[in-house]
Amino acid sequence: MSEIAIERGAERSTERGSGLGRWLRNPWRRPVFLAGFTWAYLAWSILPVLIAILFSFNAGRSRSVWQGFSMRWWTGDPNDALFHDPALRQAIVQSLRLSFITMIIAVPLGTMFAIALDRWHGRPAKTANFGMLFSFVMPEIILGVSLYLLFTNLFKGFVHLGTGAQLLGLITFQLSYPVIIVRARLLTIGPEYEEAAMDLGATPGQALWRALLPLLFPAIFASFAITFADTIDDFVTVNYLASTAASQPLSVKIYSAARGSPTPAVNAAATFMLISTMMAIGVGFLIYRVFSRGQRSGEAGAGVTDFVNA
Amino acid sequence: MPSPTERRFSRRQFLYRAAGAAVAVPTLSAILAACAKPGQLPSGVTLLEPARQDRPVTLPLYGREPIATDAPLEEGATLQIYNWDSYLYKKTLKEFTAKYGVNIEYTTYNNMEEGIQKISTGQIKPDVFWTDIDKINKLVMAKLLQPLNHDLIPNLEKNVWPVYQNPFYDQHWRYTVPYVTWTTGVGYRRDHIDDAEVAAKGYDILWDPQYNGKVSIYDDYRTALGMSLLKNGIYDLNTGSEADLKLAADDLVRLLDATNARVSINASYSAFPADEIWLSQAWSGDMVGDQYYLPKGVPTSVLGYWYPKERNGEVNNDTMVIPASAQHPVAAHTFINFMLDKKYAFENFADWVGYQPPQNSINPTELVADGVVPKTIPEAVVRQDDFKKGHLLLELNRDTDQLWFDAWDQVTSGG
Amino acid sequence: MASTVQEPALPDAPPEPKGSKVAHEESSGVWYPKWYWPSFAGPATIWLAIFFILPLYVVLSVAFGTSDPIFGAPLPVYEPWYWSSSSFVHVIGRFFGAAAFWQPALLRTFVFVFLASLLCLLIGFPVAYYVARYGGKHKGLYLLLLVAPFWISYLMRIFAWQSLLTSDGIVNSILRILHIAPNPIDWLSGKPITVILALVYGYIPYLILPVYAGIDRMNVSLLEAGRDLGASPWQTFRRVTLPQSKQAILAGLVIVSLPMFGDYYTNDLMGSPKTSMFGNLIDKTITQQGQGPRAGSLVLILMVILLIPMAYYLRSTRRAAEGEA
Repeated sequence: MSEIAIERGAERSTERGSGLGRWLRNPWRRPVFLAGFTWAYLAWSILPVLIAILFSFNAGRSRSVWQGFSMRWWTGDPNDALFHDPALRQAIVQSLRLSFITMIIAVPLGTMFAIALDRWHGRPAKTANFGMLFSFVMPEIILGVSLYLLFTNLFKGFVHLGTGAQLLGLITFQLSYPVIIVRARLLTIGPEYEEAAMDLGATPGQALWRALLPLLFPAIFASFAITFADTIDDFVTVNYLASTAASQPLSVKIYSAARGSPTPAVNAAATFMLISTMMAIGVGFLIYRVFSRGQRSGEAGAGVTDFVNA
Repeated sequence: MPSPTERRFSRRQFLYRAAGAAVAVPTLSAILAACAKPGQLPSGVTLLEPARQDRPVTLPLYGREPIATDAPLEEGATLQIYNWDSYLYKKTLKEFTAKYGVNIEYTTYNNMEEGIQKISTGQIKPDVFWTDIDKINKLVMAKLLQPLNHDLIPNLEKNVWPVYQNPFYDQHWRYTVPYVTWTTGVGYRRDHIDDAEVAAKGYDILWDPQYNGKVSIYDDYRTALGMSLLKNGIYDLNTGSEADLKLAADDLVRLLDATNARVSINASYSAFPADEIWLSQAWSGDMVGDQYYLPKGVPTSVLGYWYPKERNGEVNNDTMVIPASAQHPVAAHTFINFMLDKKYAFENFADWVGYQPPQNSINPTELVADGVVPKTIPEAVVRQDDFKKGHLLLELNRDTDQLWFDAWDQVTSGG
Repeated sequence: MASTVQEPALPDAPPEPKGSKVAHEESSGVWYPKWYWPSFAGPATIWLAIFFILPLYVVLSVAFGTSDPIFGAPLPVYEPWYWSSSSFVHVIGRFFGAAAFWQPALLRTFVFVFLASLLCLLIGFPVAYYVARYGGKHKGLYLLLLVAPFWISYLMRIFAWQSLLTSDGIVNSILRILHIAPNPIDWLSGKPITVILALVYGYIPYLILPVYAGIDRMNVSLLEAGRDLGASPWQTFRRVTLPQSKQAILAGLVIVSLPMFGDYYTNDLMGSPKTSMFGNLIDKTITQQGQGPRAGSLVLILMVILLIPMAYYLRSTRRAAEGEA
């Protein structure tokens, strides 16, 4: 919606009718209701989380009644605090471990797949595409349960439940994200760059590596960040494929605690996870900006939109 | 009772199946499983009838002998213990290591099915394992346990209650020794609810709508349905009667409607001491242990426990066993004997677990006087004749088990 | 890398002999050997085949298999000619037969998903529309705030609501202060409204983003043309905006409603057994002894339920893409 059109609309509104009615009927007016609605939604969306973060600093045991500020659930309480509870600490380590390994395997695998799907137009490509999209919208419980049955029956001797099985499941589930993101970017990149490279004497491999891949860096980094963030939050797959307490990441611990009688230490744990995710996203975004400096348009805020649309 | 499917497999079909398995699954174990005619029992094994008090079971040995009495203790080795979380006092374990020079590694399972599955696939080779009574037949039929050498566990006959000396579920103690006992009753917060009210209503108080949102029952199909059966005057806790089970299930649905009860396995020792739940179906051991879960400053007098006055509620015990795949069987026997010693059994119970071992030396009347059991919950003490007057949840055959599952399904799916 | 560059790919080059490995990719116009792209797709395809397709076959084998006579663990039967449909038939009976006590859960799931998806659309579309069309300078900020929920764990967001909805929580306090509800309402005791709103809260970001992307790509001049010709805002919306954003709305609805069908943890945390959904049925049976075939059948039924909207969506996407091209 152009700014000019809105100003024109302001002029046009002086034409007929009473004040409020005129204002309502004006098709060019500023959309106050929509703006208010949007801000109300954003508040509804973000506030509960902010409150939960706040309550991790609650002095008392309640998660709903504020009893004063304290660092007790983070470091203070010798038994229940986040940093003194070895089970919670281990869960954090497990979450980070799973996310990191999943990320570095799923993204290259998915990127290669995306490039292939974009360039290869055979029948198998369409089937593979369908399979990938199906895995994207399928409820995670189907994947979790089917992998659980796979590992406890068909692969009974090979793969034991635990971190290994969790990684296999997570990579499978996350594979579609890099594919979708990279493919979306590929659609805007034509074959000209590789053609030019090959005309200049590059082999197909060199053309790909040195011409196409750098153009894809923003999408690839976006994939890294999003895969990391999504894996840290994953619950269903890791729950079914976990074995001992050591292989239960933080999301499972939060779930078990939430069904029992949780203390604000759980809030602290969730906040910690949130911070690490934000940091991962932040790093990804910074790297994205550095690498796409030459490609970005001049509009302010376009960096974020590109990142999101990448 | 094999189903029609299981009877279908003939020799010719088993060859097809083996071939199919060889194509689909390149693992030896899968091929062996295929050759073993799926859905059939392992060779040489007949289906054991579930044990009942009036139908005692002598578990077959399948031609195996216990280990030799003079086998040397595996000093310096690491004993593998596979148990529920927090079910053994760490200090007692350290005392074992100090006394015998054998280290201990404690692995936990989240539920018994998982534990059994890991043992049967060989993923874990524990030396000592804990199991409820209703799993013993199954473990024996699957040849997962080894017979015990009683010369190595003299404390069994010496210290354990006479009522156990030749239990109906394992005559002559071939495979098991008892670990702890418990009753299942109703825990209540005395700071909100009167003793007199609970004593008058008994199980019914869990159905009382005035306690909406403050009630919890166990997320276990046998325990929850069992309580509903008792409440309705049905004392056969292993019934196969569909009518009885339907009655129990309908009543539980009514309970969920009336009080929006939480269905949870840990409410009795997490939400209950945290004062979020006032009425909880509870095992006696959880109640005794609750004195350690109460927040600072809250006196143990808030704990209340109700069990029928006639002591005819639900009672049970679990057992320790030695798996067939144990790598250190002598140390395992020594450990079991150690845990049956009156000093260590008491220490484990009083200072940590809260579940009472069936030791002769433990005088139920003294437990309250000594402060081991908070004095407001004297009913939580288990007495020997509770096993005569009370009712146990025992093993069910497949079809009956399915009926119980179906009844529980009805309760938990909002149907 | 292979330095075997083949002959030039002129559009009207003579057809290659059959079986020749030498070929060219006409579509991309550059010279890649025939095995190139398949080898790129290879690893991921093999991965998906082993860890996505094969497990689904195992589910079939479990659903139509039997169980171990001793422990009742599921025994999958891999040869289709030995499959037994007794467990599957039994499960269908639980949904539609005489003792159909799973039927409420099935119906409830459809109702919850429908209402939650509808609410997601009614709330999410205006937000997406506003940000896409009127975002202007602050678009980046809006987008950041819209995308933030993706990076906050779903569990944490629902957990946050759990704290707010307790009897002594903030929601009840606000309602009391505003005199709407003097007595605390027990939100977490199995109220359908709680579960539905929780689903909306959890899944709505997944709808807003595709819808935003779709509206963002819309041709704004058409809208302005509509208004210039005298159409009221509502008419413009109905006849110009809505048809153009139909594809994006469909995408958003699919991305939101399909996973919702398998959701069970939202009900676990915000509801009670009284508001069980289909996912809860699967979760309960898979963890119980002796129920393997039933769990497999349930997963199978869920997949079948979802295949239809999924196929419809894929077909309409492809048709739309072809329409645009």
